[in-house]
Amino acid sequence: MPIEVKHLTHVYMPGTPFEAKALSEVSLSIRDGEFVGIIGHTGSGKSTLITHLNGLEHSEPGVVFVNGVDLGEKDTDLIAIRRVVGLVFQYPEYQLFEETVAKDVAFGPTNLGLDAGEISERVQTALKQVGLDPASVSEKSPFELSGGQKRRVAIAGVLAMRPSILILDEPAAGLDPSGRRDMFDLIRGIHASGVTVVMVSHSMDDVGRLCDRLFVLNRGEIAYSGTPAEVFVHESKLHAIGLDVPECAKLARRLRDAGFDMPEGIYRTEDVCAAIMDNLTQKGDAKC
Amino acid sequence: MLKNITLGQYFPGDSFIHRLDPRTKLLATVALIAIVFVAQGFSGFLLIAAFVVACAVSTGIHLKFLIRGLKPIMLIIIFTFFLNLFFQTGGNELVHIGFLRITDQGLRTAAFMATRLILLVVCSQLLTLTTSPIALTDGLESLFRPLEAIHFPAHEIAMMMSIALRFIPTLMDEADKIMKAQKARGANFETGSLVQRAKAMVPLLVPLFVGAFRRAEDLALAMDARCYRGGAGRTRMKQLKFGKNDLLAGLAILLLLAAVIGLNAIKAF
Ligand SMILES: Nc1ncnc2c1ncn2[C@@H]1O[C@H](COP(=O)(O)OP(=O)(O)OP(=O)(O)O)[C@@H](O)[C@H]1O
Ligand SMILES: [Mg+2]
Repeated sequence: MPIEVKHLTHVYMPGTPFEAKALSEVSLSIRDGEFVGIIGHTGSGKSTLITHLNGLEHSEPGVVFVNGVDLGEKDTDLIAIRRVVGLVFQYPEYQLFEETVAKDVAFGPTNLGLDAGEISERVQTALKQVGLDPASVSEKSPFELSGGQKRRVAIAGVLAMRPSILILDEPAAGLDPSGRRDMFDLIRGIHASGVTVVMVSHSMDDVGRLCDRLFVLNRGEIAYSGTPAEVFVHESKLHAIGLDVPECAKLARRLRDAGFDMPEGIYRTEDVCAAIMDNLTQKGDAKC
Repeated sequence: MLKNITLGQYFPGDSFIHRLDPRTKLLATVALIAIVFVAQGFSGFLLIAAFVVACAVSTGIHLKFLIRGLKPIMLIIIFTFFLNLFFQTGGNELVHIGFLRITDQGLRTAAFMATRLILLVVCSQLLTLTTSPIALTDGLESLFRPLEAIHFPAHEIAMMMSIALRFIPTLMDEADKIMKAQKARGANFETGSLVQRAKAMVPLLVPLFVGAFRRAEDLALAMDARCYRGGAGRTRMKQLKFGKNDLLAGLAILLLLAAVIGLNAIKAF
């Protein structure tokens, strides 16, 4: 089990009037090679949860295991954990600081103490992986790039550490539709290369399309978990906690309510289209 | 690491003192500080301390927050104490160790100076704990308004202060986020030699400054877009008004002053 969280509770600024409980009794486990989605309304604790997964935050009570290592133990080597668990923050483009793109991407590998040859090889690979041309962007200042390109550079900076688990906090926030599509293609590609991916999102459409399994957070607690189909069954309850189900799932449910023969638990555009086609052809047959 | 920098330490509340006009509180604090200097004996200090503690209790703020403000200047207090203890040589000798002589007068002066410092800090703590930074700048602006006649830029200074206060938490939040992001990339801010640690700050400071400039530009544009053109002719949403409570507070301070002067006059301990 690469990641296992048990009874995690996190309180911000305990003992002051600003005390805020961000997580309470969260337990979850993530399997090798999975594509997991964490979804919840604003302030539900998603970002807080993922900062626990590579030991940036630690709270008692609660335990977090990464590949069997307890992150709460005093002698745990957190640098080694961060090499395994790559974390891409929300708006990661604001963390760029170096003079050139290549140097910025090299920051992580350098901190790992790799030798120069290995570092430059990793920088090239990571830039290619995020769809940037190393030859043309390497020597540019990261501040000259467009917003979408900056974000790719920031993701490359994490990929260059070759994590086996990649966590992304709202990777598509603030991108235009084509930028979002490219970003999701990129993440799908990373997942296909064998990396376990955890993606935080607001959008059920996005997680529904990409993820194998979902965790729905509501006010710091896990409200629902399971495959997208299992989660989207709770449409009205999800609505009540400020979330939505994918448009296609809604369409399928309304058609079913209207008496059409739509199977339960379909939410992918293709599946819903196919079901509608089935309905149409059945009717057509009946008429002839 | 960022936890131990508290700038805006305002404790929201709805007590008598919380509801006072910020100008009253500012003036009362200045008066309290003056009273601390007026007092010539420990009896006066005791009275002032009782007054401040009573005020603090009435606000519902735990006394430990009042004491916490002393931490940063503890060193100065201790230094002052020992300086006075060893170098005031008048009076009767109490102890004599090597070249150090401690006299009863030295001990008294040392304790007196240390108490005075502690009281000064605690009085100003009471102000910052019960007044939001924004109310504080509003009060300051209003108090310094008359000085605009001699071209003192009261409004501009107050505006700069409120903008700075408004952005300190934002910037601290951002610093925290950037720090986490760089740590996730294996950065190490905590260990290493001084030079290494200074170097480690670069990945934190560059994005922080870039962000601060971006915000400053955005804010300037937003202010421009809403036709901000300085303080002349500006009205405010929250008008500052003196009320009956402010009068009561003023009277309480005057009473305290009278009592302290009285204690001085009868040369109480
Ligand atoms: N540094 C902090 N100090 C105090 N409270 C915080 C801090 N960070 C987050 N919180 C609080 O903890 C709760 C959870 O925040 P978190 O950032 O984890 O939410 P989120 O699900 O990531 O939200 P969003 O979708 O807006 O990113 C919120 O109520 C927030 O106000
Ligand atoms: Mg978040």
